[in-house]
Amino acid sequence: MSIAIAEEKGWEPKIIVFACNWCTYAAADLAGLNHLEYPAQVRIIRTPCSGRMDPMLVLRAFNRGADGVLLSG
Amino acid sequence: MRKRVGVFVCDCGTNIASVVDTEEVARYAANLPGVVFSTTYKYMCSDPGQEMIRKAIKEHDLEQVVVASCSPRMHEKTFRKAVEQGGINGYLFEMVNIREQDSWVHHDRGEATKKAKDLVRMAVAKVLRNKPLYISHIPITKKALVIGGGIAGMQAALDIADAGYPVILVEKQATIGGKMAQLDKTFPTMDCAA
Amino acid sequence: MVAVAQHPNIQIITYAEVTNVAGYIGNFKVTIKKKPKYVDWDLCTGCGTCIEKCPTKKIPDPFDLGLGMTTAIRKVYPQAVPGKPFIDDKHCRKLTEGKCGVCEKICPTKAIKFDDKEEYMTVEVGAIVMATGYDLFKWEEVYGEYGYGKYPDVITSLHFERLASAGGPTGGKIKRPSDGKEPKRVAFIKCVGSRDDTKGKSYCSRACCMYTAKHAYQVKDKIPDSEAYVFYMDVRTAGKNYEEFYQRSLNAGAKYIRGRVSKIYQRGDSLVLKAEDSLLGRPLEVEVDMVVLATAMVPSEGAQELAKIIGFSVDKDGFYQEAHPKLQPVETFAAGVYLAGACQGPKDIPDTVAQASGAAVKVCGLLAKDMLATEPMVSEVDIYKCSGCGFCVPICPYKAISLVEITEKGHHGPIVRQVAEVNGSLCQGCGACVPACRTAALNLKGFTDEQLVAEVDALCL
Repeated sequence: MSIAIAEEKGWEPKIIVFACNWCTYAAADLAGLNHLEYPAQVRIIRTPCSGRMDPMLVLRAFNRGADGVLLSG
Repeated sequence: MRKRVGVFVCDCGTNIASVVDTEEVARYAANLPGVVFSTTYKYMCSDPGQEMIRKAIKEHDLEQVVVASCSPRMHEKTFRKAVEQGGINGYLFEMVNIREQDSWVHHDRGEATKKAKDLVRMAVAKVLRNKPLYISHIPITKKALVIGGGIAGMQAALDIADAGYPVILVEKQATIGGKMAQLDKTFPTMDCAA
Repeated sequence: MVAVAQHPNIQIITYAEVTNVAGYIGNFKVTIKKKPKYVDWDLCTGCGTCIEKCPTKKIPDPFDLGLGMTTAIRKVYPQAVPGKPFIDDKHCRKLTEGKCGVCEKICPTKAIKFDDKEEYMTVEVGAIVMATGYDLFKWEEVYGEYGYGKYPDVITSLHFERLASAGGPTGGKIKRPSDGKEPKRVAFIKCVGSRDDTKGKSYCSRACCMYTAKHAYQVKDKIPDSEAYVFYMDVRTAGKNYEEFYQRSLNAGAKYIRGRVSKIYQRGDSLVLKAEDSLLGRPLEVEVDMVVLATAMVPSEGAQELAKIIGFSVDKDGFYQEAHPKLQPVETFAAGVYLAGACQGPKDIPDTVAQASGAAVKVCGLLAKDMLATEPMVSEVDIYKCSGCGFCVPICPYKAISLVEITEKGHHGPIVRQVAEVNGSLCQGCGACVPACRTAALNLKGFTDEQLVAEVDALCL
């Protein structure tokens, strides 16, 4: 689906973020403290460390219909 | 384990409630599988807020607790304690970040509320799979190491030593004193530095 | 300083560096390297005869930043604590050329040991305070307009401290390094390296405004008919009695000029500063005898490596990162490791003392406990699934996993096999071992596969 059509239909992407508790998750909190705005379609899952990330989880997210997965840590 | 989740949604004054429709989130949470109780409150972390959690655990026979409020990096310990005081294991608890990662970064009330609902749904799904965990205890070596013998290291060493604990002070140079020893008089009192 | 040395609870280990830190909060194992001093401090009485007789007397004294000369065997300075000498192995003739050995002959207690070697010792502690301080920004490398360090009379504020100090190379008389004359006109330039994105650091070094006010005052005070010019960007006096101190400097006659100095060059015996007075909006030329640069504070050499060894982070400028800028200013991300002083960021003495006391309280709070509660969100092994492949062992950054032998009942007698075992105190709950486990025997309590999958599924609904 092209972006133009997608926007017309009111389609919204579903983006899953796996965020390390010690850096990215803290950074996301910091973004909040500074009231920096970003699109509301982002859903953050807290992980204890990006080392905990299993490729299985990324595949699972896509398998269940996620449009994008961001792994950050 | 029985599935009896209680969901507590915090307004954080207006920090959350001005952007996220917390009442709506609580109503939505009430219909999630496993949830038997949900409510909102102005300041969940306050004493009355915590008391509300403790009371609800008893009154509604809750087995799991979800608090949707600020970042878990801020108040996870606070609520874990409240949950324990309420009589259930502190790890049968999950926190949802609807302040730092929702109300403070989004302006559209509809979108922010939708996000809050999704995040609460996520936490409920997780908390139903939580298991009670138990803290263990380890002994402590009652001795401190201070690295650097300048003014900071000396002061820290003295304070710790005065409290009665042994301190090892390691310094790179052949004397303690650091940069301070090189200084002449120091402001604002013009004392000698040594 | 003497109070530290005399305290029965403090053991001072000087001329030493921390080379390794293992373990965790409450139970650190620290390796300390003691550099060779070539003097047995147990035997040495600190009489100083060796220092007097040392024939190698022309070494630029690092303590005086090269403004004075010193000997190969020396105390860092006469009032050093502990008051015992060491031998500078880069300059000692016995150690570099095999000749001399005068100190060994005259030492009344036979304390000189030319065969002294590096020594390693291990100590066990429950908490660590980082107080590694700062170094001065190397201005000579970037500030070409101030002469890249080629003019001897362009010095730093720390040089000035040594010149003004009664224990310094001039006995407290302010003399300029080139010819030893008393400078009648002294210029001070603030923010050299600080608040300079292009050549230096973006941050303010915080202490310079005040010590420069002090130096300008000292020039006016110690040198009759002198002029002190202070070139500044802003005057920041945010501290108790600081503004009053700055006013005292102004009242003493220090001339504050708002503007940056764009060039320094030699004219005959003196130095010429080209600048702009940005309040009057006009260019300016000032001729002086000596220039003092207030150079930025930067993290001390080796501080970053030490952070890596211990396992916590540094900020963009290399200062130690506090756990939270407002609420946890003395904690690091490594539990049981605390910060004091300029290693965390530029600081003056009052702030340093305050933070050091803060760090000390955190340490005392920890050491006052008899037992330490550990976070239960650690990895666990399902030994029935574990094949004992050992894949997880090298993956664990905290060395928390080891292989152990277990005995199980089998159809034809007991079976002995290896399985992984997690040390719950060493495990920090990162979960790096979980995806590495081929038989899914490892799981992280609180963040199990089942829990994370449930989260993904719930979000993707």
